[in-house]
Amino acid sequence: MEQELEKRMPIQCPSCSRVLEVARLVCPSCQTAVEGNFPLSVLTNLSQEDQEFILEFVKSSGSLKDMAKNYGISYPTIRNRLDAVIEKLKSFEVENK
Amino acid sequence: MNKQVPKNKVITWLFNPFHYLAGGKALVIGLIIIAISGVIAWFSNSHFDGVLDFHTGRQAPIWFIVAEGFVDWLSLALVLLIAGIIISRTRFRVIDIFGTQALARFPTIFMALIALLPGYNTLINKIIANPMNAATIIFENIGALIILMLVGIVILIMLVWMVALMYRAFAVSFNVSGGKAIVSFIIGLIIAEVLSKIAIILAIKSISA
Repeated sequence: MEQELEKRMPIQCPSCSRVLEVARLVCPSCQTAVEGNFPLSVLTNLSQEDQEFILEFVKSSGSLKDMAKNYGISYPTIRNRLDAVIEKLKSFEVENK
Repeated sequence: MNKQVPKNKVITWLFNPFHYLAGGKALVIGLIIIAISGVIAWFSNSHFDGVLDFHTGRQAPIWFIVAEGFVDWLSLALVLLIAGIIISRTRFRVIDIFGTQALARFPTIFMALIALLPGYNTLINKIIANPMNAATIIFENIGALIILMLVGIVILIMLVWMVALMYRAFAVSFNVSGGKAIVSFIIGLIIAEVLSKIAIILAIKSISA
């Protein structure tokens, strides 16, 4: 039985390393395609783990205390992780400007 | 969901328990450990008479030996709080610095326990009574030499482990790293050591008076 491969959306150009943009979107149901230039959200520049972290943060209503409990780690560790994600987002915003 | 679990939980618990434990819980556990270490140390006339100090030989009331441990913890926590306020660029909780520094002192339990080794206290008392003949006392009995070396090595290892934990506690509580964090920590440690020594010496003088 073939196992479904986990695909990760590429965000950086393999040729010149600039941030990629979406040029074509397709409806999986009726195959309608839309072409254009759609910049990706800065959030997509983050790693899968960081994106999941942000999702969990929002689902916890921004409560680092609840997140620490869910992750089974300490409050300062979760806060430091958030700080790291914030720093990454800031650097992406600066690069995209 | 990937929760970025550390590769080796045992190693993390030994060298960075603050990944899992901080705040009020760490404070309660840490203070209990400091108190227990003090009680155990009393049985061997040992003292935690400085942030990084452990000496055997002077008798003192049990409450005093326990209080020494709390003075050591408080001295370092307060100094590192000031250091963290100066160098940290992130928000932090005061309870985390006090809690993690208390928990960082857990190797003191092993220091207090090793000093209970049979013969160690007797040897130290002999040396204190006759310091000019310390070398003779130590080398006249190979057993005494072995005991002294063993206790010395264990205490040194525990001390190094404790300092490593203290630094990790500081780094995690304030989210600092690199050269600035290390230098601030070392300066803070030296200042706290001096403060704790002064506090304990003044306390001994006022009790003796």
